[in-house]
Amino acid sequence: MVDGMPGRRALVRRRGFLGLTLAGACLAALPFTAGAARAQATFPTRPITLIVPFAAGGSTDVVARLVAQKMSESLGQQVVVENVVGAGGNVGASRVAKADPDGYAILMGTVATHALNPLILKRKPYDPIADFAPVSLLAVVPNVLVVNPNLSAKTVPELIALLKAEPGKYNYASSGNGTPLHLSGELFKSMAGVQMQHIPYRGAGPALNDVVAGQVPIMFDNLPSSSEFIRAGTLRGVAVTTKERAPSFPDMPTIAEAGLPGYETYTWNALFAPAKTPRPVIDALNAAALKALKDPTVIERMQAFSATIVGSSPETLADHVKAEAAKWAPVVKEAGVQTE
Amino acid sequence: MSDLVSNLGLGFSIALSLQNLALCFLGCLVGTLIGVLPGVGPIATIAMLLPITFGLDPVGALIMLAGIYYGAQYGGSTTAILVNIPGEATSVITTLDGHQMARQGRAGIALGIAAIGSFCAGTVATMLIAAIGAPLTRLALVFGPAEYFALMVMGLVFAVVLARGSILKAVAMILVGILLATVGTDLETGQERLTFGFAFLTDGIDFSVLAMGLFGIAEILRNLDHTETRDVVRQHIGRLLPGREDLRQAAGPILRGTAIGSMLGILPGNGAVLGPFAAYTVEKRIARDPSRFGRGAIEGVAGPESANNAGAQTSFIPLLTLGIPPNAVMALMVGAMTIHGIVPGPGVMTKNPNLFWGMIASMWLGNLMLLVINLPLVGVWVRLLKVPYRLMFPAILMFCAIGIYSINALPTDVMLIGVFGLIGYVLIKFGFEPAPLLLGFVLGKLMEEYLRRALTLSRGDAMVFLERPICAGLFAISIIMLVAALMPSLRRSRDDVFSEA
Repeated sequence: MVDGMPGRRALVRRRGFLGLTLAGACLAALPFTAGAARAQATFPTRPITLIVPFAAGGSTDVVARLVAQKMSESLGQQVVVENVVGAGGNVGASRVAKADPDGYAILMGTVATHALNPLILKRKPYDPIADFAPVSLLAVVPNVLVVNPNLSAKTVPELIALLKAEPGKYNYASSGNGTPLHLSGELFKSMAGVQMQHIPYRGAGPALNDVVAGQVPIMFDNLPSSSEFIRAGTLRGVAVTTKERAPSFPDMPTIAEAGLPGYETYTWNALFAPAKTPRPVIDALNAAALKALKDPTVIERMQAFSATIVGSSPETLADHVKAEAAKWAPVVKEAGVQTE
Repeated sequence: MSDLVSNLGLGFSIALSLQNLALCFLGCLVGTLIGVLPGVGPIATIAMLLPITFGLDPVGALIMLAGIYYGAQYGGSTTAILVNIPGEATSVITTLDGHQMARQGRAGIALGIAAIGSFCAGTVATMLIAAIGAPLTRLALVFGPAEYFALMVMGLVFAVVLARGSILKAVAMILVGILLATVGTDLETGQERLTFGFAFLTDGIDFSVLAMGLFGIAEILRNLDHTETRDVVRQHIGRLLPGREDLRQAAGPILRGTAIGSMLGILPGNGAVLGPFAAYTVEKRIARDPSRFGRGAIEGVAGPESANNAGAQTSFIPLLTLGIPPNAVMALMVGAMTIHGIVPGPGVMTKNPNLFWGMIASMWLGNLMLLVINLPLVGVWVRLLKVPYRLMFPAILMFCAIGIYSINALPTDVMLIGVFGLIGYVLIKFGFEPAPLLLGFVLGKLMEEYLRRALTLSRGDAMVFLERPICAGLFAISIIMLVAALMPSLRRSRDDVFSEA
């Protein structure tokens, strides 16, 4: 999950009918039999396209592919992952917003597509609430504050003290302008009352390289992409950004408990269908998604990946989207990242 | 040393299992095929084949995916030589002399030398990774934004040296390339630049679109302009494989190309892109008769092709030892590892020795397989040139359109290759070279990014470029090269300014 939350500009753009046909042909050869029992069900009767609005190989893509594979087995139809990349996730999200509301084109939405981008862009390509029918909040991925091991600050209070002692001297890296990680840094700055210069990168990979090398001392990253660097000691994990500690790093404090009460950011992945999709279809998709999240392999891979499985109802996801928009609106405004 | 032997032993014991051999072969074969098809690149292929690797063990899956990657690098040069379409930035250079060789009826020799050069480079690079891969990663960490900027500036100097004709025209082309690279959303501010409100330009211009238009489509237009050159190709094909004299001529360039490509491939900041350009520049500079370059010099194929393949191999070093992917394909490999339950990072080598050494051993086997796959195919490809051009060009056009559409599924991309094709044709007519433009385009994006990052980090102090020793050294080399390149033409231009065509 190199480009954890890929930036407003994605490195890789791909998709295509060649891809689809070939992938479909390859998949057809695989032994999928589980769905035969559901043959009498009316939905689905043909393959479902799960649009991932970010590059293949990123964290959203990994979650999508793990879940899609298991959903295919329980739905009895292939759930084909298609990466529709561009404009920080807006291209893929717009495509699903405008798709037929029949459940055959669904979206792996994230905090970027359904909370941040609509706030950042003045020219909005879609409405995150009115244009979508929520299916399920699948997983929550913690973000993490990491520093180069040579930086003297080892804890959140020490870091705040260091930043206050020399305002404007330190830089922090993120995977791109307007990404959840950039805004996690901005939220940190405003809550702690400190100054740091943001250095945007094209994805988490190159940013990690410069933080490991010491070009930039501080970084906000999502936990999966930093986790092995923290374990190897090439980065120091200072704190996670979630309300509770991450199960994969029980010794690492949260930013909230380490000095900034109320601080909470995370990346989330959720399934959305186009608005006006019939309720039985939403329920079928929701049931398949929840079943996939109970699969032992999926649980194991998600844990290795530091993602927390949620598996919510459609209603909970609807509330979640509204809460996230409310939470990020002031941060986006203060960070001054709005664009035309 | 005994460590190395036992590690390689472990690697080969894994790579030589029947399943992994088969997967490696499959990967190389698929890679070669998609490399030959214009537009369809390794990223699309690996992404679409990811689901079928779910059932495999992680080592086998990654061996196959890696095979697709370096197989595609291989296949890409076939299209570059035969029909003048560079599939990737790294095969732009191959079109210069490779396609000229094909026009002269030496396509078989060009393809053969590309295959042999790539194999030698692959072998050396694999050994390099095995022997000193881990210590070499330190190099990756020494390079910060300032160093990368200096490296990219050096790359632009290569572009000047590349020029066959007027240096002034080459510089103009480089600048146009840099300008085109700024189209799209700005990384630092998120604002759109030069998009004129068109949604399809918000993510910039795709390299494949530009390359396919300027090279592929423009070449078709030029060929339709004067068919007689095409007939020459058809009438005499010449020998199929390189002879002893060709091999003797190519040996030096292959070795130098391998060394240059390996070094640049290690750098995680897209250094591998520069490899073929640097190799070509070196060959042209040290050649006894540089005027042969661009007119079908075998060194101009052997050097860059070796550098290209060496870079493709060594770019696995930052991925496997640091956990940092140097390019989009490697980023996809990271995703593949994650799906298979291996979280990439600096610990992969010690935690998963089977994966690390198995992949390295498979790379060498893969290179051997590519040679076996590709050498017999040379005859097939060359015979393709005998197809009458009136039948061939619609086929090329169709493959270009399908290939480009398959990348982003944007109809606008297909239209854009037409536009760039027309522009490319006009440029050729006026004696402007498209290669410097493409290099400017590739480097422009990176240069701007590194320059702004370096200056943001130094709070606007430009001294940062002189204070850092590696950075200053790279600038010094650039200046020396530029002066060396300009001197003869400056002297000449005083005599006859307008004689250059």
